[in-house]
Amino acid sequence: MIALVGYMFTVLLLSQRYLAPLLLFLGLVAVLTGSDTGPLTATYASVAGAMLPCSVWLTMALVGLEDRTHRSVVVVSAGGPLRVLLATVGTAAVWCLLLTAAGLVLPLLSGTRAPGLADLALGTAAQLTCAFTGTAVGLVCSRLVFRRQGHALVLALVLLLAVLLGKGVSPVNILLTHLQDAPDPADALAPTGALLAAAAGLLAAAVAVTQAITRRRA
Amino acid sequence: MLRCEAVGKRYGGGPWVLSDVDMEVAAGDVLAVVGGNGSGKSTLLRILAGLSHPTTGSVSGRPPRIGYVPDRFTVHDRISAISYLTHMGRIRGLSASAARARGHHLLERLSLVGGRNAPLRTLSKGNAQKVALAQALLVQPDLLVLDEPWSGLDASAHGVLAEFIDEVAARGGAVVFTDHREAVTETHARGAYAISDGRVTPHGGRRAGSRPATAELVLTVPPTGVTPVEVDWSVLPGVTDTARRGGEVVLRVAREHSDAVLLTALRHRWSVASLARVADERVLRGDARGTTR
Repeated sequence: MIALVGYMFTVLLLSQRYLAPLLLFLGLVAVLTGSDTGPLTATYASVAGAMLPCSVWLTMALVGLEDRTHRSVVVVSAGGPLRVLLATVGTAAVWCLLLTAAGLVLPLLSGTRAPGLADLALGTAAQLTCAFTGTAVGLVCSRLVFRRQGHALVLALVLLLAVLLGKGVSPVNILLTHLQDAPDPADALAPTGALLAAAAGLLAAAVAVTQAITRRRA
Repeated sequence: MLRCEAVGKRYGGGPWVLSDVDMEVAAGDVLAVVGGNGSGKSTLLRILAGLSHPTTGSVSGRPPRIGYVPDRFTVHDRISAISYLTHMGRIRGLSASAARARGHHLLERLSLVGGRNAPLRTLSKGNAQKVALAQALLVQPDLLVLDEPWSGLDASAHGVLAEFIDEVAARGGAVVFTDHREAVTETHARGAYAISDGRVTPHGGRRAGSRPATAELVLTVPPTGVTPVEVDWSVLPGVTDTARRGGEVVLRVAREHSDAVLLTALRHRWSVASLARVADERVLRGDARGTTR
């Protein structure tokens, strides 16, 4: 599995398709947090919001890199399509972790705010919640499920809006509204952890759906 | 080893690509699947390799280590050939150094032109095909599935490919390949299946021992002008048919007796014009591949 993740990471790195989502993320973080001097909880909520579209884009780019024959070779080498799919999720997670690290550090550069351990933990959990949700959306809209990228893109935008605006249903929406007026990061940590678990469940569901559709189509 | 029972395949609600396919692949087999373009060869191979699930029927006994070479290996990757092979080897459980060494060895044998460190997407079709072949052989496969492997390869690589196939079969692996040219399949395969209209039938393959092979021997008067001694060929053991075409004597001899008949002919000062293997009872003089000895 590590070898598969290593391979996919390298292929995405060499293809340079990571650049656009990376720049989008850095740009969003800079715009959203550049002049922000409020509590870090709200700042990290904005960063987590920026993570959402970027993780969707990264996942779709990662899956779209390899065409059918090329993927077939990898599937036979790895010994099954599920392993390749899980490695895809793992690779997307590695990229999102890199973004998360950047998202934690960048807002601190502009201000004089000193982050506590609870702030950093909260920032990580919030960003990963959005990253998992975004990866789930990206998988369902990827080339594995949709042959036509135009349709996939429209669906991705619709799903993005849905998870952003779905009041009380989407973990992302709950997270963002909750963190905007949460004064103490330590108190917010437990509910954020629950939302992270919910996002992980969403991701697992997306993997199951994608695997089922790929299997049926193959 | 691998067994297909009543396998049928259709994509979505489309027409049946394959129907009622029964096929058995044993260890050490080299099987060809012959059929025209779009006859379902690739689909059958994808089912054998486990890439595709049959709509009906079942496939059992698929071995763990499978090598798969797709018919088109179009790559847009910037990754280099040797780096790609190293990654594939690691995915198959080799260490990085072992995978790299094996990759170099295979590319050496296939004489990859265009550089091992050149990005894959800059390679020509034939060279990309060589990389595709190499990745399937990084670990010795129990089942090697090749989709039109000869297309795009140059003549020297043809020989190497034949060696690879023999090596896999000699180590107890099975090889299944497709090609649309019967000449190629008859040279390399020990058994063949024909595929048409979604149906797969065993086809004129020379499965070892199952059919007595026949040699066609053409004898002439030697160009030096020596008059050969007349022999009553039909009484020699193994001779199934004799004919005269002009000054030539054409004999059909069972393969196990062909050496003795040849020796008799030479002793009687006949000259051998040709000796060819005949695949079936029809006369195939035009396209029989000569195995002159």
